[in-house]
Amino acid sequence: MNEFSDALGISASGLRAQATRLRYTSENIANTDTPGYRRKITSFEAHVEKGRPDGTVSSGPMRLDPSALARIHDPAHPMADEAGYYDGSNVNLLIEIADAREAQRSYEANLKIFDQTRQMSSALMDLLRR
Amino acid sequence: MELTSALAARSYLDTRPATAPEPGGLASAAQSFAATLQESEATATAALTSGADPHSLVQALAQTELAIETAVTIRDRVVEAYQEILRMPV
Repeated sequence: MNEFSDALGISASGLRAQATRLRYTSENIANTDTPGYRRKITSFEAHVEKGRPDGTVSSGPMRLDPSALARIHDPAHPMADEAGYYDGSNVNLLIEIADAREAQRSYEANLKIFDQTRQMSSALMDLLRR
Repeated sequence: MELTSALAARSYLDTRPATAPEPGGLASAAQSFAATLQESEATATAALTSGADPHSLVQALAQTELAIETAVTIRDRVVEAYQEILRMPV
């Protein structure tokens, strides 16, 4: 419609993408102790509308981290093999927490722009009032 | 010059085109305003009934807020201008 409206839409798409990222991070953290769990990752991509990017961002398809699963020694575990090892998850809590914090900061930035756009538009209309 | 009712009627008809609303401008703005309102209403209903994306709800409501603010401001100015014309000494 206009620049302000576009800016609102683009900020909202950023908010949505960061929320999706946080969702996968929370899944990973919740499944840290799940045997055989591979951490879920997603990468952002420019949203394409009618053959050209319209400025908004969307989270890409979910992928599984192919890195090796942790070998955990616990002979009492029901899934342990003869040597007493079983496959844990390949979630690294440190990475997940850092990722969540990054998502939070990006979310805040998008929120700030959303608010700023609203304020600018209101200020413009205030010019006409007395 | 004698001021007859026929002459008055003709002058009135001559000046009417100047005050006629322009096609397109305001009407299309009003239509896009109504479309924005309808869209946000649909989004709000969806968000409250089926738990749609809250980001869409906030975005739609913010856009409606801006649209209403614009519409109200323009209305105020138009009414003000109209009252100014009414106050004009004839």
